[in-house]
Amino acid sequence: MFKAIVSAETLTSALDSVSVLVDECKIHLEEDGLEIRAVDPANVGMVDLSLDAAAFESYEADGGLIGVDLSRLEDIAGMADSGQLIQLELDEETRKLHIQIDGLEYTLALIDPDSIRQEPDIPDLDLPAEVVLEGSDVNRSVTAADMVSDHIALGVDDAAEYFYVDAEGDTDDVHLELTQEDLIDLQVGPAHSLFSLDYLKDMNKAIPADAEVTLALGEEFPVKIYFGFAEGQGQVTYMLAPRIQSD
Amino acid sequence: MEFATFATRAATIDAEPADLEIVDHVRALLEAAGEDLEIVARFVQGRVFPAWDSTTLDIGPRTCYEAIARAAGTNVDADDVEERLADRGEIGDVAASYDFGGQQGLGAFTGRGDAGGDGNTGSNGGELTTREVAETLSDLAAADGAGSQDRKVDLLFGLFNRCSSVEARYLSRLVLSEMRIGVGEGTVRDAIAAAFDVPDDRVERALQVSNDYGRVARVARDAGLEGLDAMDLEIGRPVQAMLAQAGTVMGALKDWDEAGVEWKYDGARIQLHHEPPSSPGSNGAPAGANDAATTRIYSRNMEDVTNALPEVVEFAEETLEQPAILDGEVVAVDDAGEPLPFQEVLKRFRRKHDVAKAREEISVRPVFFDCLHAAGEDLLSEPLTRRHDRLEQLLSADENLDPAAVDGLSLLWFSDDPEAIESIDAEALEAGHEGIMLKDPDSTYSPGRRGKHWRKRKPDIETLDCVVTGAEWGEGRRATFLGTFELSVRDGDASEKRGSARSTGAPQHLETIGKVATGITDETLAELTALLEPHIVAEDGQDVDLEPAVVFEVGYEEIQSSPTYSSGYALRFPRFVGVRHDKDPAEADTLERVQRLRYGGRR
Repeated sequence: MFKAIVSAETLTSALDSVSVLVDECKIHLEEDGLEIRAVDPANVGMVDLSLDAAAFESYEADGGLIGVDLSRLEDIAGMADSGQLIQLELDEETRKLHIQIDGLEYTLALIDPDSIRQEPDIPDLDLPAEVVLEGSDVNRSVTAADMVSDHIALGVDDAAEYFYVDAEGDTDDVHLELTQEDLIDLQVGPAHSLFSLDYLKDMNKAIPADAEVTLALGEEFPVKIYFGFAEGQGQVTYMLAPRIQSD
Repeated sequence: MEFATFATRAATIDAEPADLEIVDHVRALLEAAGEDLEIVARFVQGRVFPAWDSTTLDIGPRTCYEAIARAAGTNVDADDVEERLADRGEIGDVAASYDFGGQQGLGAFTGRGDAGGDGNTGSNGGELTTREVAETLSDLAAADGAGSQDRKVDLLFGLFNRCSSVEARYLSRLVLSEMRIGVGEGTVRDAIAAAFDVPDDRVERALQVSNDYGRVARVARDAGLEGLDAMDLEIGRPVQAMLAQAGTVMGALKDWDEAGVEWKYDGARIQLHHEPPSSPGSNGAPAGANDAATTRIYSRNMEDVTNALPEVVEFAEETLEQPAILDGEVVAVDDAGEPLPFQEVLKRFRRKHDVAKAREEISVRPVFFDCLHAAGEDLLSEPLTRRHDRLEQLLSADENLDPAAVDGLSLLWFSDDPEAIESIDAEALEAGHEGIMLKDPDSTYSPGRRGKHWRKRKPDIETLDCVVTGAEWGEGRRATFLGTFELSVRDGDASEKRGSARSTGAPQHLETIGKVATGITDETLAELTALLEPHIVAEDGQDVDLEPAVVFEVGYEEIQSSPTYSSGYALRFPRFVGVRHDKDPAEADTLERVQRLRYGGRR
């Protein structure tokens, strides 16, 4: 059983943060909210999303599992204006999702969850450094790095106590430093890892400019990026594996 | 089998020049393939899917370059890969030249080394298997819609990222269909026979009916000869079409005494697979056993063209009451049912959109000339005569019906008489078709073979430029046209004696060599009549004498000695090619050239 009413904005934010990595996903319809975990085909980037029941206008579920084609569902959600409400109801017999936006009704065929790539185990990482910053600063870092390179190094200078971004291109380089004052919070620790911008650019698309974003970093370790949405009732955690640094 | 093992063995085969050694390497590879035998038997030929399956990866070179670039390291882009390709000339070499694997997978950090059970989520540290490659490529082929190109790059990147140099070499060649390690279909057939100790002709038969090298390899290994012999045609799995080579009527009659003769249609080859609703005669075909009829149409390349040809589907549903696999052509026809040129068929053949609209503009109709399967019985090893009988039975509602009245049936005549065959050829041309096919009446159906059992009559070995010296007025609707043109050649020696005919304007010394009446449309006949009528010097009933003025280029199959014509020779199967407006009679071919062509061997 699943029946819920949610604002178009909340639903779209949730879907967008998953669709930057995968085309299809499983959605767990838990009693206390939705949960999605997915990993990209190369097993490099992962998303772990939860959206509390409190983020919905109304929410009823009893622990079901459905598989969805994300771009379809995003297209439908895109039919609503941002203030509009979307009503979702699962038809258990036909295994279809009825979606209603005012007078518009859409019946979405679901995907067999078994045909969707298995959900990833979440690596249990003990990352020494933690950087809390505004979404707009993440955006600025990624955009600057992308101008010169297809990779980005993220690190924390644990002596001078600042967070930095490095990108080395064939000809041009970019370096950005954010000190304690520029950041919301900084927990200093040894951290330096190189990441593919292909992935980070996609993840960045889902990070709201005004969100408070936490980056957890280590040395040659994946980065964990988490932020809230829907007034804190939704949480997204991305994890991105590093690239081995040559030399 | 680990993909690295496959790639290493592929490299060995790649480096081996001797065919027999290659077969032996492939044999060893198949023996070592274990659970992945089907995949390996396809991969080694550069195939990802069985031959009957029209699924394609649909990966453009650029997609592959992007995936390679992403896996190759920092600041490598698709242009760099393309540049390196221009240097090295071969994608495998380019892929092998990069150092992949820099991008780590999350699996390396979960502490288990492998994040999931289905292989795809394994850490990039794990060994890539041929099965994982096959599964990923199959996901990739299934990707469609918005963003599918990105998804293909992602999937391919995920594979390359886990590749060693030698793996990358053969993965890139595999995805771009450029395997080229010298392993052809015959190699795999022989290797299957050697690996699993079964006779190669039985492997060949199983391959012909199944069109699936992977499956044949597995059946040969797991079920032996018995299993191979039990493999049958399946409705919904196309087999390769039997092909014809060029040949002559005289050659065919010499080889077979009697030849099967049928019209050669100017259309596109199709293979029709039809299963009527819940037919009891079905041999367990996957597509069958349901309430609705199942009809699939495949092109010569085994591409599914069903949706483009609704008329053929309708024809099958209305006509066929038994499961069947038929071989034929689809021909474009005008409103009167007359055939249109091949280009018109192509406008319909691979059409994916606006089929209904295209159908309004150009109609097509099927003509079937062979039957591979009828009512549960495979007919590949039956002689042509029996297959054609079965075809006729399937297509005719009433067995007393004149075959000529059976819709969709290509007529087959048997004859040992060149004259009779010539007249069939003339009728075919008259009806707007390409000419005739000659078939060995006793021959079996051999899929994919361009054998000597089917021959396209080679129309013109050589052409002659002949002077038109006579004609006949036509009959019926052609009563106002000149036709059946008498052809002559110059007797060069005689002309010499009289001095240069051209400079003096003296009449040519000409000898007749044959008559041409075929290969001419009504439109052309009208033009020729207008061209020749001013040159009529005498008329006797339908017969007309012409002064030597016009030169025809004429094709023929053979020159024979003949008392019928004054030259002492006759053209066998003469065919009008065109008017040589650029030549006058003094420049027409000579008797000497005719003699040279007759005795001197052909160029």
